[in-house]
Amino acid sequence: MGGPGGSRALELLRSLPRVSLANLRPSPGSKKKEKRRGRGRYGGRKCGRGHKGERQRGNRPRLGFEGGQTPFYLAIPKYGFNEGHSLRRQYQPLSLQKLQYLIDLGRVDPTQPIDLTQLTNARGVTVQPLKRDYGIQLVEEGADIFSAKVNIEVQRASELAIATIEKNGGVITTSFYDPRSLEILIKPVVFFLRGQPIPKRMLPPEDLVRYYTDASNRGYLADPSKVEEARLELAKKYGYSLPDITKDELFKMLSTRKDPRQIFFGLAPGWIVNMADKKILKPTDERLLKYYSS
Amino acid sequence: MAARTLRALCRPRLLVAGSSRRAAAGAEFRSAYSLDKLYPPRGGGGGGGDTGSVPEQEAKPPALDIPMDRLTVSYCRSSGPGGQNVNKVNTKAEVRFHLASADWIPEAVRQKMASMHKNKINRAGELIVNSEESRYQMRNLAICLEKIRVMVTEATEKPKVVSKETAQELIARVEKMNRERLRQKKIHSNIKQSRKADFD
Repeated sequence: MGGPGGSRALELLRSLPRVSLANLRPSPGSKKKEKRRGRGRYGGRKCGRGHKGERQRGNRPRLGFEGGQTPFYLAIPKYGFNEGHSLRRQYQPLSLQKLQYLIDLGRVDPTQPIDLTQLTNARGVTVQPLKRDYGIQLVEEGADIFSAKVNIEVQRASELAIATIEKNGGVITTSFYDPRSLEILIKPVVFFLRGQPIPKRMLPPEDLVRYYTDASNRGYLADPSKVEEARLELAKKYGYSLPDITKDELFKMLSTRKDPRQIFFGLAPGWIVNMADKKILKPTDERLLKYYSS
Repeated sequence: MAARTLRALCRPRLLVAGSSRRAAAGAEFRSAYSLDKLYPPRGGGGGGGDTGSVPEQEAKPPALDIPMDRLTVSYCRSSGPGGQNVNKVNTKAEVRFHLASADWIPEAVRQKMASMHKNKINRAGELIVNSEESRYQMRNLAICLEKIRVMVTEATEKPKVVSKETAQELIARVEKMNRERLRQKKIHSNIKQSRKADFD
């Protein structure tokens, strides 16, 4: 823009007339006129305040006051609807329709395993770990039009969503990310720039262990043979024939799964990723290796 | 650019020249909780670590296997409110199959079903089941199949045969109840009589 050594600006200065107050003006849109109240035939006179009383004199009572009648917000008894809301786990919904939309537009690559990182990069979901989000849940909206073969990993999924994905020849897994791992998963580059080793993903808390060891939820800690049975059962229930993924050309990709302690595909806990030098540093000390693989 | 390198990192690891030297990492990372350690292949039950053992589920009778190619499934638009969505989207699922030639149902059960659900069988002999309860085609289809399974189960159950001893016991029970009732009635009647003052 400036040209080599700012020569373009110098050239301009030489050719254009002298800079003076007559030649200068602010860039359009930078100076906005301030709002001046109470001017003009219609905006002036009472200045939009009405006629006498508390309204014109600016002495109206507080919000919610009903003239002495017990106000609504005091008449209704308290009930713990929102009690403990800040301790409840939340999962951002991701509909199958949106997933199909993202795949059709090419924002998400179905030939690679789909992870929360891929979805965040594609701006398909926005997860806020600080607002008690624990990941995403797969929702059934768009189940009838979904037709993509994907290997997807979410945190919760309903039965119909699982059935839809498997009917189209895909693989679905539900897995748990503790808040720290979730934050790293969503913004990996920011984490790598910190220069800390990748932590190991924590195991689910007590009340979630049952969910993630259940084959019918396709939990990542469930028995693979039971998962196979559950797939057949679901196919029988929803009346579709289960496509054989072993005969698929993308079988290797469809069967890749993360280890329960792994956050990223292809990166093990304990490694440090150096973005500047494009290198990965791995620990060699025995104790560290033992800790990170436990 | 950062996103591209990131995507490359997140891709499952193909054999890179550098990594083949580090045999310690191996092709995949395996921690103490990896699936092959939790559930050793061809091992017995307790392979679990600290995740705790999964409780044994109660043995459910296997659901009836319905051959989908023998059924005719058609979808059409559901009824009811819903505006543009209900007018355009085909969510009602209808399943029909010829009952007499359905080999996957035992003969006796077929006869029973023909008599139990004769209102649902058309002139051509096809049993029709439809469902428009859900917003999703797939779920409506699942509901139809579930209804068929329930029909077959109901037709299969045999009427309860009461053995002779049980039948006699039941009759004896009823008679005993009646005797007791009449006894109580007589007692009550005597009490009421005794309160009567009959002046001759």
